[in-house]
Amino acid sequence: MTVVSNKADIKLALVVDDSVMQCKVLSVLLKEEGYRVFTANDGARGVAMYIKYQPDLVLMDINMPVMNGFDAAKKIKNISPNSLCPLIFITSLDSDQAFIDSIDAGGDGILVRPFSPQVFKAKIKSIQRISDLYSQIKKLQQEQQKDAELAEELMSGVIESRNYGLDKISIVKKAAALFSGDIQLTVLCPNGDINILLGDFTGHGLRSSIGAIPLSETFRAMTKKGFSLIDIINQVNSQLYDLLPIDLFLCATFVSISAHEKSAYLFNAGLPDAYIFNDDGGIKHQFSSNHPPLGVLPRLMENSRLTIVPIEITDRVVLISDGIIEAGNDNGELYGVERFEVAAREGIIAKNLASVLMENIDRFCAGKPQEDDISLIDIPCNGWLRQMGVTEKTNSTNNNSLEAAYQTTSPDWQWNLKLIGKSLAAVNPVPMIMNQINDIEGAGEHWQSLFTILTELFVNALDHGVLRLSSSLKKSEEGFTQYFNEREKRLQNLEHGFININLNYFSLVEGGKVVITLKDSGDGFDSLELFKNNSAAEEHEQLLSGRGIELVNQLSDTLEFQENGTLVEAVYIWQNKKN
Amino acid sequence: MAVKTYISDDNKHLSIKVDERFDFSQHQHFRDAYNKFTEKGTLFTLDLSNTEYMDSSALGMILLLKDHAESIGGKIVINKPSDAVNKILEIAQFHRLMTIES
Repeated sequence: MTVVSNKADIKLALVVDDSVMQCKVLSVLLKEEGYRVFTANDGARGVAMYIKYQPDLVLMDINMPVMNGFDAAKKIKNISPNSLCPLIFITSLDSDQAFIDSIDAGGDGILVRPFSPQVFKAKIKSIQRISDLYSQIKKLQQEQQKDAELAEELMSGVIESRNYGLDKISIVKKAAALFSGDIQLTVLCPNGDINILLGDFTGHGLRSSIGAIPLSETFRAMTKKGFSLIDIINQVNSQLYDLLPIDLFLCATFVSISAHEKSAYLFNAGLPDAYIFNDDGGIKHQFSSNHPPLGVLPRLMENSRLTIVPIEITDRVVLISDGIIEAGNDNGELYGVERFEVAAREGIIAKNLASVLMENIDRFCAGKPQEDDISLIDIPCNGWLRQMGVTEKTNSTNNNSLEAAYQTTSPDWQWNLKLIGKSLAAVNPVPMIMNQINDIEGAGEHWQSLFTILTELFVNALDHGVLRLSSSLKKSEEGFTQYFNEREKRLQNLEHGFININLNYFSLVEGGKVVITLKDSGDGFDSLELFKNNSAAEEHEQLLSGRGIELVNQLSDTLEFQENGTLVEAVYIWQNKKN
Repeated sequence: MAVKTYISDDNKHLSIKVDERFDFSQHQHFRDAYNKFTEKGTLFTLDLSNTEYMDSSALGMILLLKDHAESIGGKIVINKPSDAVNKILEIAQFHRLMTIES
């Protein structure tokens, strides 16, 4: 097929009439209107010319040899059903039937002879106006589609391709529109924990996804800097409150899984229940929404906090959006919570929750188009424990230059912070320290170990020192919850007490050394007893407590408790990686 | 019309009743129902007893109404939500943002 494109403003008209005389008359009038005109003397030839020239306007006689005007019109409209090219019948058949047949055949109008040149030109102008409008809309629609596709690509590329641990976590996302209002994020914390977010913005489509980029940036950046999950949620909430219009908000579930603590932290603001299943598909925990969606209130409601539960490595955390619960079929039934729980159980037993569940939903909906975005995140609690720091840690006894540098007395810089009373409940010093180090010494992988050391030492000084909580509480599941409730209570009422944090940084020839000391106002403890208990616990692999100190012991070069356990000094040394 | 309104004689109480489906398609009707009422301290009652389906954009519309009510020193009360709607309000924890009367 040859297509002669009409690039310039000159419009092409095709006149199909078996009378050469008529063709000439119409051609003259059309040329006066600025058209370039082609003519054909029967329907079949008309169709061929149409294909060849792709005109902007067709004038068609009805009674013609070889192929009449109706048949030719049907053929033309069949070739390009969505074409912008108007087709007008020119006839002397002045009957209702002729008019009806013309429109049925796909014509856009009819002109009955005889007509004056003025009437003819007016008719052409009016029909061209409609056609121009049509092509404008078409163009806008195409541009919008193109923008939407580009934005979609950006969204999935920029936001979700950066998710962590997708070899273990399964994520299902079925959007109702091109754009999903649902967002799924998984990010690794500096201490090896993993933060997960399932969010559902109001509505669907482009409008509902404008909050996704700031949300993912905040969630990612704060997680990587080591902020606690509740701090992140707070920040996300106030950011969305400032950013989004009143009727646009985010329903979301946040989860943090800590493999070395064997616990999960959850927060559900406006999504259906989140679940923790055991490996038989039994429901161990269920978390209902207990906070309005994010972005509605300027600050989180008072007393908002995370739910903390102990987990086994065989457990799975499963998050869903309301698109699953509210998936409907043609009988007006909804998929519902019960069906979900049954299918999830089957899926876990079959070791493929995502596909078993999605097949089940598809069968239930039986082809009814999806009204809402469907999202699922299935996270195993196993496999997140890393061989932390082992490769980064230096063996200082085998390295003379490091050993020599070890003797250095004056640090390159010092950092000190004393948190007293209420400020202990309000401030998490670890991200501040990490920021400081990153600013002065630049980013580096070895900071992950330092982050863990700092976090564990600070939590220990706060929980067991200042707050005087006994870690033996954490030995049972009930005690575990009790422990965190008690912790929260004591933090709220904290008037006195302090933690003094001191950092000394020494640069070494091929690396560096940080000496961390923490002094707390607590009663202290028998540190020798702690290590004894810990090594015993290691063999049982069951104790929920005391893991922190053991981890710090592994990561640091030396770890020493003094002043009856109220002062701790950890030394962390690393070597720059050789290229 | 899918959104009906009733005004009390003293002009201080506007009752808005939404039909079976409360979703984005009601957006304009819903806004028109309350936008003109700017009498100080107006009580807006949202009757959801007939509503069986409500989506998240409806929750957004309720927040818009709440904002409007509060901007003129008024109040919003949700009245008689059906079970299905109540579940949605509960998940969104709207009882912490406004009064819901059963």
